[in-house]
Amino acid sequence: MMIEALIAVALAGALVTFVAPNRIAGKLAFAISLVPVAISLWMFATFDGSGNALIDGELAFESQMEWIQLGDYAITWFVGLDGISLPLVVLTTILVSLAIMSSWTPIDMRESQFYGLVLFIEANLIGVFVALDFFVWFIFWEAVLIPMYLLIGIWGGPRRKYAAIKFFVYTNVASLVMFGSFITLVFALGDGVSSFALPEITEAMLNGGPESFAGIGAGTLTSLVFVAMFLGFAVKVPVVPFHTWLPDAHVEAPTPASVLLAGVLLKMGTYALLRFNFTMFPDQVSQFVVPIAAIAVISVIYGAMLALAQTDLKRIVAYSSVSSMGYVILGLVAYTQFGVGGATFQMVSHGLISGLMFMAVGVIYNATHTRIVTDMSGMADRMPIAVGVLIAGAFGYMGLPLMSGFAAEYFIFFGAFGSEASTYMPLFTGLAMFGIVIVAGYLLFAMQRTLFGPFRLETDYEIRRAPLHDVAPMFVLLGLIIALGVAPELIFEMITDAVDPIVDLAAFGGDA
Amino acid sequence: MVSAFEFAPAIALLPLAAFVVALVFGNGMPKKGAYAGILATAGSLLLSLWMFATVAGGEVYNEGLYDWAIGDEITFHFGVLIDPLSALMLVIVSLVALLVHIFSLGYMNAEGETGLRRYYAELGLFTFSMLAFVLADNLLMAFMFFELVGLCSYLLIGFWFRTRSAPSAAKKAFLVTRFGDYFFLIGVVGIGATFGTLTFAGDASFVAEAQSAIEAGETFHGLGAETWVTILGLLVLGGVIGKSAQFPLHTWLPDAMEGPTTVSALIHAATMVAAGVYLVARMFGFYAQSPTALAIIAFVGGFTALFAATMGVVKDDIKQVLAYSTISQYGYMMLGLGVGGYVAGVFHLMNHAFFKALLFLGAGAVIILMHHEQDMWKMGGLKDRAPVAYYTFLAGSLALAGIVPFSGFWSKDEILYDALILGLEEPIFLAAYAMGLVAVFFTGFYTFRMVFLTFHGNPRSEAARDPHPLGMNVKIPLIVLGVLAVVAGAANLAPVYKLAGLDITFLEHWLDGAYTDGMEGMTYHEYSEMTGYETGYIGSETITLLIGAALSLGLAFGGAGLAYILYNVPEPKAHTENLGSARTVLRSNYYQDEVQVWIAEGLTLPVARMADRFDQSVIDGVVNGVSSVSLFGSGGMKRLQTGVVTNYAALIVLGFIALVVGLGVYGGWFV
Amino acid sequence: MTVEIHYYVLLSAALFCIGLFGVLTRRNALMFLMSVEIMLNAANINLIAFAFYHGNLSGQVFALFTMALAAAEVAVGLGIILVLYRNFRDVDVTVPSAMRW
Repeated sequence: MMIEALIAVALAGALVTFVAPNRIAGKLAFAISLVPVAISLWMFATFDGSGNALIDGELAFESQMEWIQLGDYAITWFVGLDGISLPLVVLTTILVSLAIMSSWTPIDMRESQFYGLVLFIEANLIGVFVALDFFVWFIFWEAVLIPMYLLIGIWGGPRRKYAAIKFFVYTNVASLVMFGSFITLVFALGDGVSSFALPEITEAMLNGGPESFAGIGAGTLTSLVFVAMFLGFAVKVPVVPFHTWLPDAHVEAPTPASVLLAGVLLKMGTYALLRFNFTMFPDQVSQFVVPIAAIAVISVIYGAMLALAQTDLKRIVAYSSVSSMGYVILGLVAYTQFGVGGATFQMVSHGLISGLMFMAVGVIYNATHTRIVTDMSGMADRMPIAVGVLIAGAFGYMGLPLMSGFAAEYFIFFGAFGSEASTYMPLFTGLAMFGIVIVAGYLLFAMQRTLFGPFRLETDYEIRRAPLHDVAPMFVLLGLIIALGVAPELIFEMITDAVDPIVDLAAFGGDA
Repeated sequence: MVSAFEFAPAIALLPLAAFVVALVFGNGMPKKGAYAGILATAGSLLLSLWMFATVAGGEVYNEGLYDWAIGDEITFHFGVLIDPLSALMLVIVSLVALLVHIFSLGYMNAEGETGLRRYYAELGLFTFSMLAFVLADNLLMAFMFFELVGLCSYLLIGFWFRTRSAPSAAKKAFLVTRFGDYFFLIGVVGIGATFGTLTFAGDASFVAEAQSAIEAGETFHGLGAETWVTILGLLVLGGVIGKSAQFPLHTWLPDAMEGPTTVSALIHAATMVAAGVYLVARMFGFYAQSPTALAIIAFVGGFTALFAATMGVVKDDIKQVLAYSTISQYGYMMLGLGVGGYVAGVFHLMNHAFFKALLFLGAGAVIILMHHEQDMWKMGGLKDRAPVAYYTFLAGSLALAGIVPFSGFWSKDEILYDALILGLEEPIFLAAYAMGLVAVFFTGFYTFRMVFLTFHGNPRSEAARDPHPLGMNVKIPLIVLGVLAVVAGAANLAPVYKLAGLDITFLEHWLDGAYTDGMEGMTYHEYSEMTGYETGYIGSETITLLIGAALSLGLAFGGAGLAYILYNVPEPKAHTENLGSARTVLRSNYYQDEVQVWIAEGLTLPVARMADRFDQSVIDGVVNGVSSVSLFGSGGMKRLQTGVVTNYAALIVLGFIALVVGLGVYGGWFV
Repeated sequence: MTVEIHYYVLLSAALFCIGLFGVLTRRNALMFLMSVEIMLNAANINLIAFAFYHGNLSGQVFALFTMALAAAEVAVGLGIILVLYRNFRDVDVTVPSAMRW
């Protein structure tokens, strides 16, 4: 029942914060958000699951309850954790807490509603990662969009309406595609399944798959569903060419919303890819290795090139998220222990690092009211501590060893290079790795222009040192990044344990 | 009894502790954390010496310490490998680091510099990274600390971040070496994926795996084992070329002079730049299996040695001259390693560490004397005003120029000798030898041009007439290093052995594992067998040796002599201006920077901007287009709703009629 | 003597068409309303005629309902027309066209 407690606390917190006076809403929300952190850390400490949740794994904190009978299919409240979802849940609770603290400074209107929505998002995000029934999962999946839409649309920048609607419609259309194809698949599976429980569907998929349905042959149908679901999730991830909502959303979103958007929302897409496409369709993956790997490489390089051309700090980080998510796809398609494990590790790692980067950019924005690189220089002179953390975060983003980004990227590269998914994998890996040069290029250029050199600022604001509650969350994140970089086994052990059953499904002899 | 090696990790961890202490408590400490750094590096030096003594006593150490990431097929770990090579390097690094820390007391603290806490913290981190890199027992750990070394150099080069040039130079240093590290990382990943191990030493090392793969005639990715080893070796070499500032990735190093001079000393002598060559020596067994890779190393080295030396001739800034000499000298080391002269390369690495640290600290002393002026044309006549600085600097210069019997002569001569005897058998290497030989002349010239301009003649500025005094914390490191620069050559007097039969080749025995047992496959002896190089002689070994030595010594004296004639006068003139357009090319560094800046800003940036425009117009255009099309479509539809009630009535009627007609057609009324 | 059923149907159809014509062409709101009433009564005639023809009362009951409905409609309709007049100083139904895109 711990998972229910986790979600319930966040939901109740959202309600309480919603009606609390604006003055205390921020502090109250932070205090409430510490409870999920404590619960998730306790779950992390006492985690006793093993294997993959969808493939005969031992679930931790499992809970199942009949909910609705829909024709021949049962919908159950079915939640549980394995080594893939637990790190993401912990990431979510921690990032939400820190994001709340980091919004004390920038959010100065309708505070109680703002913090209420943030806690509401938290509940749904946790739900996405714990749900093991398709319907329950899908409800959480969609419910995340609404508070995020409001956060961008109400507290966002000048073009907030455009960005919010684009974000909402784009990802919602993608969800529709995914939902339709998955339901088709479930019906096509016929008598094999009697509920929407994901483990049951996975089992049916791995033991024969669907029959022909609506006049489409079984093989074609499976491939179509695979492609449709991939496209549906690809928007969420996002991969090129479905990425254009992301920079707009990030630029307009307030800092804490950006933190959650980059830190957790993007991981929903890759998490779903891993859970659905790469667990239920191993044969189709090996069939589509080359195009998927090509998309991954293009995302990495193209995203990084776009970041290079930007002058808005937030856009730089936003595009580099596209690039980083490309690595995740590359790791997934490799279908090796280090590839898929590294991809999962990268989800956590990128969540921490991009969260840190957005917070740091936010702190600079709070002080200068500009994010344009050419509007300022020499910020290191005025805000040494915040800038120091920003530099550390930037190097984390570049994959500096002993920080989590390096561990994640190295795992992915190693897994992808040794993958037997395709003979071209070493080539794809080598190309994708060039991303580490470009990322260094644009971050160093941006840092040189904004942080160093003689002090100059185009806007009329007096620079003050950032308050402690702006800087403290960044230090927490930095600590976590370094901890995971020095000792990736903290979570990599449970990740590999949950990933191994997936890798064993590979149609080719996957090793390394 | 606890083994000495149990304390090996502490060598690296002590400076790390200094980093943390300086970072957290630095502002409250006397000298802003300098003492923490000095204490830590002194501890590291003592421990290193203990390791050295233990290795000399016949023991080696190769142990994993900590599993970083555990997989089914391969486990990545941190470990310690202490063999003759790393024990030697540990002593060099910790010694130079200690002296640089001490020197910093005079160089940095004296001037009322701000940010000293940051300076000492970064220095500690730098030393930690380099020592951990030296200790590494596997390629991944080596790569990780290799990168951290790069980070620290970025931070230290950009120490004066309020200027425009320092952050730019720092960025360039990191970016150019990152470009090299990109290839290195592919190499690491490739070696790990191919051989399933990344350890340097032991039966299960990737070197041994590669050897057995070549012997068994295996193929990887459709390529023969040897070709694949060559490819992997060259990929790793990319990182070496970046860090050791070899052509064409050397451009960052002269710019890196923007950092404090003490940092330059550390970077050039013992840490960053040395890391590349050390890595080649560390995995020499791997390269030894690929003649192609070795030949490329030799040619890159030889070419860089000459190329950089010519640029050093025309520089006016004392640190710039030293920077180009560093590039050139590391070229020699690469040349030495590439022709199979493992001992010669390592020997030069050691000697260079001492005399280059000496020269940089000497230059630092000059800069203190000159009240932070670096242009040699404003100096002159410092010889009598600062004798300690002069004589130590002179010792370093003689070593750099390769004048007998200073240390640099012995190692450089050995490299050239190794290149010559290989070239006599395989003529292609004669070209590399020739480049190395010609570079000797230029080295002699620019070295003494620097010495004469700085210390001799009449003072050419107010500062030179009334120099700032030097403290003990400046003089002591200079003297220590000065002595080492003179005597370090005695470690391996190979020519003496060959001519007179006196066995003073300690270093060769040291690296050959003569004092130790174990370390199979990692001795000079075995490396020589692996390369399979044949050697040839002119007449006999002795004659060849004498011819080689005479040639290089003659050229060194020639260069120095020319400098003496031109510059050892009271009022020297800018003779290099007579070179005309050649001087312009040299001063512009063969337009290398322009090319690389063009690649970054003239090529990549426009491509990025184009991609951005493409993204905004085409990809996002399609997205917005979809919404526009639906908006446009509904914009037409909504006009049906006119607001006039009569129209609605008409529509209802028409709709009703259409429905009736439709149903009628469907029901078959009109058939 | 009874009138044939088809005369009633013809009468009703004629009335309905007159009403429809009025709805489509009249701009005066009162005429509009009256046209609607005519159409309703056309339907009533049909209902009563067929009730008589089939010999049961349900059609007549429906006709009563329709009349009640018509009365209510007139009440509401006149109310709207009054408001219309008050706002536009006119009872032309094509003038108020704000309820559109």
